Amino acid sequence: MSQLGKQSSELVIEQVQHKVKSKATFSTKNQKATLSLILFVLPAFIFYFVFLLIPMVGAGFYSFTDWNALSQTYSFVGLSNYIEAFKDDPDFRHSFFFTLKYTAFMFVFQNVIALLLALFIETRVRTKGFFRTLFFMPNMLSLIISALMFSFIFSNVLPELSQKAMLHFLDQPWIGDSRFSFYSILIVSLWHGIGYMMVIYMAALQGVPSHLKEAAMIDGANPFQRLIHITIPMIMHAITICAFLTLNGAFKVFDVVYALTAGGPGRSTQVMALNIYEEAFSNNFRYGYANAKAMILFFIVLVITLIQTRMLKKKEVEA
Amino acid sequence: MKRMFGVITTLILALFAAISFFPIYMAVINSFKTQGEIFDSVLDLPTTLHFENYTGIFEQLDLFHSAGNTVIITVIGLAGIVLCGSLAGYKLARTPGKLSNFIFTLFLASMLVPFHSIMITLTKVAKGMQVQGSLWGLGLIYIGLGVNMAIFLYHGFVKTIPKELEEAARIDGCNDFQIFTKIIFPLLKPITATILILDILWLWNDFLLPLIMLTDVNNYTLMLSVNMLFGQYNSDWPKILSGLIVTALPVVVFYAIFQKYILKGIADGAIK
Repeated sequence: MSQLGKQSSELVIEQVQHKVKSKATFSTKNQKATLSLILFVLPAFIFYFVFLLIPMVGAGFYSFTDWNALSQTYSFVGLSNYIEAFKDDPDFRHSFFFTLKYTAFMFVFQNVIALLLALFIETRVRTKGFFRTLFFMPNMLSLIISALMFSFIFSNVLPELSQKAMLHFLDQPWIGDSRFSFYSILIVSLWHGIGYMMVIYMAALQGVPSHLKEAAMIDGANPFQRLIHITIPMIMHAITICAFLTLNGAFKVFDVVYALTAGGPGRSTQVMALNIYEEAFSNNFRYGYANAKAMILFFIVLVITLIQTRMLKKKEVEA
Repeated sequence: MKRMFGVITTLILALFAAISFFPIYMAVINSFKTQGEIFDSVLDLPTTLHFENYTGIFEQLDLFHSAGNTVIITVIGLAGIVLCGSLAGYKLARTPGKLSNFIFTLFLASMLVPFHSIMITLTKVAKGMQVQGSLWGLGLIYIGLGVNMAIFLYHGFVKTIPKELEEAARIDGCNDFQIFTKIIFPLLKPITATILILDILWLWNDFLLPLIMLTDVNNYTLMLSVNMLFGQYNSDWPKILSGLIVTALPVVVFYAIFQKYILKGIADGAIK
């Protein structure tokens, strides 16, 4: 009995010792894992910290100051930069509404045309690859190249085409007149961007199970009904993503406007990013004020993205 | 009815294809004309092919030099993004815990920051770090701006690799770093290819960052040089158009070779 008791108490002690030992190795193991994590992440983090995080925090910080290129020091001015941007800066306000208008047009046309093209191409069998290659091609060229190429089209080709093909509506001052330069910016953006969205829509369409369409066909649904009741609901995920990709990209538009109209004539086609660029680098060098505008652009994009993630999450729950 | 529908879709697609291709076609045929021929008619085909527009552009603009600059920036940027991104993405995916989650969220959240919002302070940081204006400096900046996306993609990919391989290698006496270089990195090839392709296109076509960073014309990237064509040749269209086509050509060739991967990368990136 006592033997047994001794044995069992030894066993308990052994177990406790073992537990303590394993806990000790566990904590050193944990430390080792943390150290290893830090070593692996450090190279990426250094670049990220210096060239992205510091500029981001700095932009927020300097947006509350009157920092500019001329003086060495700066002082805090509270919210006055933001107030000025909203109240006393007609150019910035104009650029905001111009960007908003551009975004609205892009939102509708880029997605509708891309989706229609994707639907049409999916019905083709042999020419599918050919059309996809062709429609995506403009997206490979940079926006600078696209815009410069189109300035030739707008200034030289369209006037001649309007005469020879009797398409008189083509003969317009596409770049020199602010009423038309909006549309020329839109045309180049659509020409460049539709293919990208189309590729995403095509991938989504290929994921629609064919047995659903066949079942609907047997039930007597016509192609239009099948589109509305089967295809569109099944690719809603892709539609949401493309819609927000467009919103996000359109609010940040810069290259195409810079190369095509440079914001002109006057500042009539100036977009937000161009207004910020001009404020900081080519006009007034008011860095503090330009940073406040940059933060406003950031908040707009932030809100768009937050709405997007919410909508996508909601969809996932429903599905 | 069904046949008519087929004909109509084909017609619509053909019309859009024509519109899509028309600007490129116009740029190509007019790049072979003289200024006088363009003045007579832009729509007609050139009577003789004036290749001197192209040779002229190479002599006067030194596009090769700008292309070389772009290659240097791209190589530094890509090497850094792939190296740093794969190391961090792998380890973040394999380490549970709050710290790891926090760092990953930090990288992820930064993906929604628009470049235009940080560009002003970025130029100041670059000046402070003495990397403004240099090619290698610009390459380093691209690492900082592009590594978050790479980490995100690597992170997602590593989750699909079974852990058993690493455990077996650990038992065989490999340390963490050896496991990464010998086992993991080779397995990451497909996602590395996607990242490389997307980032090559980004770096090659990027305009605004080089515009605010590079001041010396000697260091200009291809896109900056192309943008100068307009001012330099003031409506000398044959020269401008041939310059545009020469600049666009590498990307078109790249597209022809890697089309499958490019399209897959875009679709995967969006749907996931």
